Amino acid sequence: MDTPKEQNSIPTSKVQRSSKFVKTGFKIGGNYIKHYSKKLFNPDMDKSELNEDNASDIYESLSELKGSALKVAQMLSMDKNLLPQAYVDKFSQSQYNAPPLSGPLIVQTFKKYFGKTPDKIYDKFNIRSSNAASIGQVHEAELGGKKLAVKIQYPGVGDSISSDLKLVKPFAFRLLGMSEKELDVYMKEVEERLLEETDYELEIRRSIEFSNACANLDNVVFPKYYPELSSKRIITMDWLEGLHLREFLNTNPSQELRNTIGQALWDFYNFQQHELRAVHADPHPGNFMITPDGKLGVIDFGCIKEMPEDFYSPFFSLTSTNLLDNKEETIKAFRLLEMIHPNDTPAQVEFYYTQYKQMISLFAMPYIDNSFDFGETKFFDELYSFGEKIAKMPEFKQARGVKHFIYVNRTNFGLYNILHELKAKVKTDTFKPHVVGEFV
Amino acid sequence: MATIESIQKAYIDFVLTQGEQPKSVYIFAKKNKMTEAEFYQFFGSFDALEQGIWSGFAQKTLNEVQGQEVYAQYSAREKALSFFYAFFELLKGSRSFAVYSVKKQPKSFTTPFVFEGLKNSFEAFATQIINEGIETAELSDRKFFSKRYKDALWVQFVFVLNFWINDSSAGFEKTDEAIEKGVNVTFDLFQRSPIDNLFEYGKFLAKNGGMPEKMGF
Repeated sequence: MDTPKEQNSIPTSKVQRSSKFVKTGFKIGGNYIKHYSKKLFNPDMDKSELNEDNASDIYESLSELKGSALKVAQMLSMDKNLLPQAYVDKFSQSQYNAPPLSGPLIVQTFKKYFGKTPDKIYDKFNIRSSNAASIGQVHEAELGGKKLAVKIQYPGVGDSISSDLKLVKPFAFRLLGMSEKELDVYMKEVEERLLEETDYELEIRRSIEFSNACANLDNVVFPKYYPELSSKRIITMDWLEGLHLREFLNTNPSQELRNTIGQALWDFYNFQQHELRAVHADPHPGNFMITPDGKLGVIDFGCIKEMPEDFYSPFFSLTSTNLLDNKEETIKAFRLLEMIHPNDTPAQVEFYYTQYKQMISLFAMPYIDNSFDFGETKFFDELYSFGEKIAKMPEFKQARGVKHFIYVNRTNFGLYNILHELKAKVKTDTFKPHVVGEFV
Repeated sequence: MATIESIQKAYIDFVLTQGEQPKSVYIFAKKNKMTEAEFYQFFGSFDALEQGIWSGFAQKTLNEVQGQEVYAQYSAREKALSFFYAFFELLKGSRSFAVYSVKKQPKSFTTPFVFEGLKNSFEAFATQIINEGIETAELSDRKFFSKRYKDALWVQFVFVLNFWINDSSAGFEKTDEAIEKGVNVTFDLFQRSPIDNLFEYGKFLAKNGGMPEKMGF
């Protein structure tokens, strides 16, 4: 599959979507048969071809489902440690290209919300979308000599999210090897965020709010948003010229430029986390552009995770060595974060304390000194092998940790991953976490 | 001075407030301060008037979609989609009348009189885009069947109309989905498909029917 097929409808009813997943199941079954029959003749074959086949079938089915399924694909692609490389590569594709919807539906959406066709609103409007944005697609337009990006949401996305997630659950549960109970806590949180993402009116309010709040950060730029040209299903903003992260990396940028971009990313995230206490929780390479003058462009504020004090304070205080060296206070923090449960036996408390302490100290590594080199593979190897180790432990096949973890982890590990891809060295003391020394 | 539009408007107002057709042209004309002659100058009967309203919708829709800049770039499939979307968007403004008029029709397999004008306009439009589609090889030209493509689209249209009448989703979003899916399925059938290949294969076998015997089976 080189170029995704232009697609004219999203399978929206539950039956249709289920059958899509069933079909994928059959295909994957077929891939296994193919694999083992080949293996009969060539016993040395490894599983990478099989993984590749599976990933491509899963991707095809997910990209036809669009909407939340694609979002989940995007989420899964963040956790490299949990998925074999082949899955990751295919899933990463989903950020950039998904098959577009028909032109007349776009026109219809405009007529519904503005009473006018797009060519009456803009001076120029390209009816063929330039790329997909998981629950919508982006079109190029022009008004008053300005190039604009117009994001249009697929109809019926909100409706299908809940039923989609129910379908994805067993599928994701197999892929990630997680317990169902654990997923349940997270799926609710995911559903909430996803439903927020379908609310474009909320998104445009937040986009303006956040881009204003972050306006003073160095080397970070935001498109201008046009609320008067936006509605429940449409967002109009300035078109940001630039390259996506992967394309940018292919141009072999200098270490200095990579550091600048990396620093901009770090500042952008840590300013939000520690000063605004709410964060752009979609650190996906597809949501960033590197502008020709070497700045970081941030698009898409669909997913914002707010961090309540009762999560922020215990979690980020753990990143300070003072607290993490104090076993008693650390356990208190773990209890506050429900990483250690009230009815755990002393042996269990000891076990989880050791594991989580290791996890947190890994997570906090970049914060310890005032600068950190994300190009070092050693740190990431440690991170992934730790992730793999705990994924295999039966003790971690159950719900632990408050629901806020899913997006905060996704944000921070996503950020680490991007910085790693950039091989950037960044100053990590620009916006420090606000920590407390002990808990009452 | 009465015009086609003013009479249609008065008629719609009448049926929607009274819930039925006026008892006679005389009553209707008197109520609207015109003479019967003036009415008959434009319409032969109330049903003819209603028919005019429906074909007016079709005409307005056609003007609307064909006036869009992108229309010329559209494929046959997209032109059809565009007509459907624009028609139901337009109909939204007269939904009460549409519901009244559709629900009033007796259930039957023939097209009710009031929809005949609409059907004619629709079929003329459908024939045109289908022929274009066949010319550009977007659609498959099948003996006998390609003449019936327009009927399939009309069936689709009637289906969506009934769907819309019963649609209670916000902004009739479900109707949008019904259009996107339904029209696409119909056009998928018009395109070259495995059935064509099967047919070709059948033809081949029929022509070369003697083969198995010669080969000694």
